[in-house]
Amino acid sequence: MKEVGGYLPPCLEGELEYKTLTFQRNQDTVEIQIPLLTREQMDALTDIVKRNSRFILKSFTVNEIVSIIDKAIAIFLDRSSKYRQKAEKLLPIITGYDEEIIRLGLTSYLKSFRKPQLQRFLVEDLGNPLLLDDFQPRPKGGFSKAMGPELVVHVWAGNVPALPIWSLISGLLIKAGNIGKVSSGEPLFAGLFAQLLMEIEPKLADCLAIVWWKGGDEERESCLLNKADIVVGYGSNTSLASLGSKIPLTTRFLPFGHKISFGIISKAGLDSRKAWQTAHSAALDVIRYDQQGCYSPHCFYVQRGGSVSPREFARYMAHELECFEKRYPRRGLSLEEKTANAAWRNKEELNIFSNSSKEVLGTTSNNWTVVYEEGSQEINPSCLNRVVKVIAIDQLEQVIDFIGPYRSLLQTVGIASTPKELFDISDLLGKAGVTRITGLGSMTSPEAGWHHDGRFNLLDLINMVDIECSAEEYAERFAPYVD
Amino acid sequence: MDFKDKVILVTGSSRGIGAEIAQSFAKEGALVVVNYLQSDEAAEKVVIACKNSGGDAWSIKADVMSEGAVRGMVEEILSEAGKIDVVVNNAFKPYIFDPDKRKLVWELTWEDYQAHIDGSLRSTHNVCQAVLQLMRKRNQGSIINMVSNLVARPIIPYHEYSTAKTAIVGYSRNLATELGQFGIRVNCVAPGLVYPTDASRQTKEEVKEMILSQTPLRRIASPEDVAGPVLFLASDWSRFMTGQTIYVDGGLVMK
Repeated sequence: MKEVGGYLPPCLEGELEYKTLTFQRNQDTVEIQIPLLTREQMDALTDIVKRNSRFILKSFTVNEIVSIIDKAIAIFLDRSSKYRQKAEKLLPIITGYDEEIIRLGLTSYLKSFRKPQLQRFLVEDLGNPLLLDDFQPRPKGGFSKAMGPELVVHVWAGNVPALPIWSLISGLLIKAGNIGKVSSGEPLFAGLFAQLLMEIEPKLADCLAIVWWKGGDEERESCLLNKADIVVGYGSNTSLASLGSKIPLTTRFLPFGHKISFGIISKAGLDSRKAWQTAHSAALDVIRYDQQGCYSPHCFYVQRGGSVSPREFARYMAHELECFEKRYPRRGLSLEEKTANAAWRNKEELNIFSNSSKEVLGTTSNNWTVVYEEGSQEINPSCLNRVVKVIAIDQLEQVIDFIGPYRSLLQTVGIASTPKELFDISDLLGKAGVTRITGLGSMTSPEAGWHHDGRFNLLDLINMVDIECSAEEYAERFAPYVD
Repeated sequence: MDFKDKVILVTGSSRGIGAEIAQSFAKEGALVVVNYLQSDEAAEKVVIACKNSGGDAWSIKADVMSEGAVRGMVEEILSEAGKIDVVVNNAFKPYIFDPDKRKLVWELTWEDYQAHIDGSLRSTHNVCQAVLQLMRKRNQGSIINMVSNLVARPIIPYHEYSTAKTAIVGYSRNLATELGQFGIRVNCVAPGLVYPTDASRQTKEEVKEMILSQTPLRRIASPEDVAGPVLFLASDWSRFMTGQTIYVDGGLVMK
C-alpha cells in the first residue's frame, strides 16, 4: 500500500522531492510518501502560511472555525467514511498497535473535538470566545482582543497516534497559521486531518502545512524555527532541549516532555465486590497505547486494609493484563525495547533476594509484568510496554513523600477513593507538582479543555491586546459628533 | 493430541471460529477439509495456513443447506481420503450479533425462525445423514456440533438464532443415544460471545464489558479458546463422552 502523507498549500510552487517511510506489521506493508522541502521551499512555505493566516484565517469567526473542525471530526467518527477507514487500516501498520486499540482510541480521542467540546475548550481558557473575533469589553474597564500569532510551528512526537491534532486544533482555533512537523513514528494522521479540513473549507488551503524532515536536519529545522512566533514541541527531554537551543530568544517555546503518571488506590476501592473492577480499570490504563502516553501510569500505590490486600491486588492486575493481552495484544517491540524490558525484569528479579516480600508476576513469555513491592518506595520509572509496579502503602498521604524528587516530571494521577479522600489527597498532590487527577480507567482520556501539564491550551498561544480606558476616554474628545 | 492420519471435515471454516478450528486440527497433523460457501480466497488462505502449520488440507465449496451438495462433498472426501473420522458442524446462517439492532420478539415472524432452523439444524442434519453410513461401517466417529452458550443463558435474546441452536442440542442428544452402539459419539460445544469474528464485530464495548464482568475468567472468548474443547471432543481423550454440551465461555454458564 502506498499513501501520500503530509499536506502542502496548493500555491507552493516548484517540484517536490518525496521521501518514502516504510512500515510493516505482520504481513502488511505501507509506504508513506512524504514531501521533503528544500530550504527555499521551506522559506516560501512559511511566507505563504503567514500571509494566509493574516488575511484569510483571521477573517473567519471562531464559530466558523469550530464548525469546520466539527465537520471534520464527524467524518473521522463515522466508521464508514473513507478517512476513518484509512486511519483504521493504516495506523495499526504504522504504529504496531492492535486494530481494536486504534479503533477505540480514535473514537474516544476524537470525541473531544466535537463542537460542544470545542466550545467548552474555548470558554475554559478565554471565558468569552468572542475575544478571538473582536475587542470585547472587560470587567476592569477598557476592551481586549485575543490575537493569535501568524505562525505556530508544531514539532510532534509519534508515541500516541493522532495526538498531533490536539495542538493543531488549538492553533486553528486561535487563527494562527500552522506548520506541523510529523514524526517518523506516526507521519499519517495530521496530514489526513489537514487534507479533510481543506476538503470541507477550501479557503483554508494555504493556511497550514504538514511537513517532515529527518530528526536532526538542522538546515530545515532552523529555517522554520527562525520564522515561527511560537514553537510547540513534543518529545523526550533530550530532543526538547536540543530543539529549545535552536529557537530564537524572542520566540515563545512550549515544550511538552516526558512525564510520570501513576495511580492511587484507596482501601475503599478494594472491597470484595469492587476490587475486580478497580483492577480492571487500572489494567486498562496500562494497556492503552502500551503506556506510551505522558498520562500513562508507571505504578500504582495501593492502600492496605481493604478486603483485598495490595499483594492480592497485584495478582488481580496480572490476571487482568493477561486477559487484555488476549483482547488487545501488545504491539511488537523493537529490539531496543525488548532489551530494556528484559533488563528491567532481571533487575527486579535480582532484588527479590534482598527483599523477600517482593514478587515479580508474569514470566518472560508474558507480554506484561507486574512487580509487587512493600516498604517506602520512590516512584521508579517503568520501562513501559505493559510493565507496572504495585506498591503497598498504609496511608494515602505517604505517596507525597515518594513522589517528591520527581516534582517537575509529575502529571496525571488516576484515583480510586472515597470523595473525601479524593479532595484531601488532591490538594497534597497538587502541591507536590501533579497537574491532573482523574478516575482510574480514564488516565489516557483527558477531558476536553484539560490543562496539559497544568497549562492553558489556547492562552499560551495568544497575546491579549488591550485598549485601556484612557484610550477610549481620550478618543471621545475627538469624536466628530462631540457637543 | 495427535490427529495424524485423521480426516476432519469442518463446515463453514473459511473464517472466524471455523477457520481457527481447521487450523488447530492441522497443527496436530490432521488432514482437514475446509468447507465453505462464499469466499474462495478466504478458504484458500485457511488451506495454506493449515499446510503451513504441519497438517494437510483442501477446500470444498458446498452449501450445507443443500442435501445434494453435501452428498457430493462427502463423496469427494471419500474418493480423496477414503474416510471421515471427525465432523465439526460449524456452518450457520449468517447472523449479525448486534444487541442494539436485534429484532424484538414481537417483530419476528415464523419465517425468521425457519430460516435459522434451516441454516443451523437442517444443515447439521444434512451433514450428519451424509456421514452416518460410513461412520457406522467403521464403527467409529466423532461428530461435534457447534452451538452457543445462549442455549442455556440467553443473556441477549437473539431469539431465532438461539432457538435454532437449542434445537441442535436436543438433536445431538438423540443422535448420541442412537449412535452410541456404533461407537459414534455426538457432542456439542457452546461458546460464549467470541470476538472478533465477522458476526460479532458490531457488538458494542459496553456489552462486552457487561458480559466479561459476569464471567469468572474475566474476558470474552477468542476463536483460539474454542478450538481446544473441539479437539478434545474429537480425540480419544473424550472417548467415554457423548451427548454432552461443553460450555466455552469463561464460566459464565455453569451446568
